[in-house]
Amino acid sequence: MTPAQMEDYVDAAAAALELPLEAAHRPGVLQYLALAAGFADIVNAVPLSPHDDCAQGFLPVGPGEEAR
Amino acid sequence: MTSIAGLLGRGAGAMADAVRKREVSATELARASIERIAATDARINAFTAVTAERALKHAAAIDERIAAGGSGLSADLPLAGVPFAVKNLFDVAGLTTLAGSKIERDSAPASADAVLLQRLEAAGAVLVGALNMDEYAYGFTTENSHQGPVCNPHDQRRIAGGSSGGSAAAVAAGQVALSLGSDTNGSIRVPASLCGVFGLKPTFGRLPRTGTFPFVSSLDHLGPFARSSRDLALAYDAMQGPEARAGTTGEHDPGCAQRAAQPVIGLLPRGLDGLRIGVLGGYFSDNAQPEALAAVDRVARSLNVTESVELPWVEAGRAAAFLITNAEGGARHLENLRRRAADFEPLSRDRFLAGALLPAAWITQAQRVRRLYAQQVARVLGDFDVLLAPATPCTAPQIGTEWLEINGRRLPARASMGLLTQPISCIGLPVCTVPVWQAHPTMPVGVQVIAAPWREDLVLRVAAALESAGVVSAPIAAP
Repeated sequence: MTPAQMEDYVDAAAAALELPLEAAHRPGVLQYLALAAGFADIVNAVPLSPHDDCAQGFLPVGPGEEAR
Repeated sequence: MTSIAGLLGRGAGAMADAVRKREVSATELARASIERIAATDARINAFTAVTAERALKHAAAIDERIAAGGSGLSADLPLAGVPFAVKNLFDVAGLTTLAGSKIERDSAPASADAVLLQRLEAAGAVLVGALNMDEYAYGFTTENSHQGPVCNPHDQRRIAGGSSGGSAAAVAAGQVALSLGSDTNGSIRVPASLCGVFGLKPTFGRLPRTGTFPFVSSLDHLGPFARSSRDLALAYDAMQGPEARAGTTGEHDPGCAQRAAQPVIGLLPRGLDGLRIGVLGGYFSDNAQPEALAAVDRVARSLNVTESVELPWVEAGRAAAFLITNAEGGARHLENLRRRAADFEPLSRDRFLAGALLPAAWITQAQRVRRLYAQQVARVLGDFDVLLAPATPCTAPQIGTEWLEINGRRLPARASMGLLTQPISCIGLPVCTVPVWQAHPTMPVGVQVIAAPWREDLVLRVAAALESAGVVSAPIAAP
């Protein structure tokens, strides 16, 4: 993303999430989004096949196991 | 030094031995710990609450039990009378669980203790308080704007590290013999390194997190700090084992593997026999200053280790850890970010806000890369039982430091303190951080002793061997 695209993205994503961004917080948010975008470039450069699954798992919950 | 002050300096195992032999009472130890906190914490700022009344009541109960005698006290009370404290993201019945924040001050007090706190108290340990930390555990420095920074007990102009800064500092200052912290990306290992104490980050899923305030559930670990490998092992053994289920009302950590306990205390004397040990190079040497590399070199020489190895996809693993942390942390706090962003810690607020906005595709890719990276590292661990790496890029910087120079690169200091820990916790490997003192003129720096999943015994065996050889140690800071 270019800096301008990043600004547009922040505005659109914040609106979609109903997350108001104060003017004082905006430069920091853009700085950290740029940092995250750099890390995204690194993970996106890793060649994965459709069979490479996520690290997270899910366990079904049975009756009597509803507690957190 | 009085005998009680001497006992406070000897560590958890020695304290418990003395209490069981009735050479000192649990009540005397609790009082000594509370007095030391009162005498030192204005300078250290490790504690956010001191639970003196509760401590003295529990200590009296331990003393009564010891006085009643009977067999099995050693097995039933391995931590008899040992004062300890917990990072303030652990629930303590009657206290509000702050998780380092201003926002949670509005929450109701906890109605029950965290599971690991219950287990340490069942082993005879005595809770004396709750400890300062980075807000919601999102930081490596414990420069907490709401509570003030935790100061490094060995040089109070320097940071203690974070996010479990209070936990490491309280042990280094001799306020308690044991403490508990959490580690998502390095929050046990970084402060252990900078404060010169031992820290154990067990395998992801080993210890139940029930009754703690989560940061990133898919990466959060809990573990102990102490001044010796034996004390770490005593605490770790007391906390292992599956959670009892209490029907539909019982809480349960869905991220805990609920494995049967595998006690390690009896395995420590086995030493290094037959262990294949390597030093992590490449990324881990490129991101460390000379004193951190000197610490690893000193440990490696003591162990006669000459082989170096690199982890495949390590930078991608670290990138995955950053993205998962940023997104999961931001999403967890989204409602408060919407309503009261100004009440967040200024040092992490904008990072939380940005994290809430990250594209889902980045996070899914990060989780897939995390698994691939874990598979690649598992192949390396087929050739090595134990790996060594620096725990932090440098010794503790001054409080307020903004930038670090590492191999000619100018990096943001606060985020960079976790450069060397993130790639290891991202894939859940057990690590004991051991403190090395001879790599810098006055300050300690830690070395990560890393093993395959579920092999905490190996990292503690190596730590114990290094301690016996006099290569690592955790002296109490001068008052």
